[in-house]
Amino acid sequence: MKKKVIVACGGAVATSTVAANAVVDLAKENGIDVEIAQVRISEIESNLPADLIVTTSKVKRDYGVPLITGMPFISGIGADKTKEKILEVLK
Amino acid sequence: MVWEHLNKELILPQIDAKDSADIFEQAGGKLVSLGYCKDSYVEALKLREKDFPTGVDMGGVGVAIPHTDVSHVLKKGIVIATTKKPVTFVQMGTDDETVNVRVVFMLAVDEKGHLELLQAILGILQDLHVVEKLSSAQNPEEIINIIKEKENSL
Repeated sequence: MKKKVIVACGGAVATSTVAANAVVDLAKENGIDVEIAQVRISEIESNLPADLIVTTSKVKRDYGVPLITGMPFISGIGADKTKEKILEVLK
Repeated sequence: MVWEHLNKELILPQIDAKDSADIFEQAGGKLVSLGYCKDSYVEALKLREKDFPTGVDMGGVGVAIPHTDVSHVLKKGIVIATTKKPVTFVQMGTDDETVNVRVVFMLAVDEKGHLELLQAILGILQDLHVVEKLSSAQNPEEIINIIKEKENSL
């Protein structure tokens, strides 16, 4: 089944692009069919339902969907762990 | 390659800046005066930084990648600014954790995407040795050469 991942940041132009690409690559490598919605933080709600939210910004609300920080894709630190966490949710 | 996109006029080594707003005025002001961004860009950067901070801890060394909405941008450009003294930025993804920054890559992004350029910039900044070298560089040529050397080594 196709999984929907919302990737969000402040403006949907920069850091979420990098995080979204990382999620797409990860899904491909693991044979997972994903649909990505790359949006601003303020647009998360209107893009629900989803299986996972990955964000590079602080999110205070609980959307009832697993939320994983995509910051390791920006800093390069802990990216492998983040990939594992994402796979756990999507598998 | 990132270095091919760099414009010497947009490289500002060793600026005196007291805080992030000061950097936005100096570096963002350059993008405005050279026709890359609208007058509204600098204010937009400051406002956005409050909601969506852009400091990143690369593992003990901080960098910042300020950018803002495409509506303030006329054409894409990258400003590289380094500061004489570390400036405090709030870390991306937090609202209270700070990081000391001496290397700033300010992005004027004109549409969705630029994925390769962004990834290339992050690839450069994830090398702490390169960040250290950038922070001590004294002129634009030196900064371009550090980046060129790094990219050619990949």
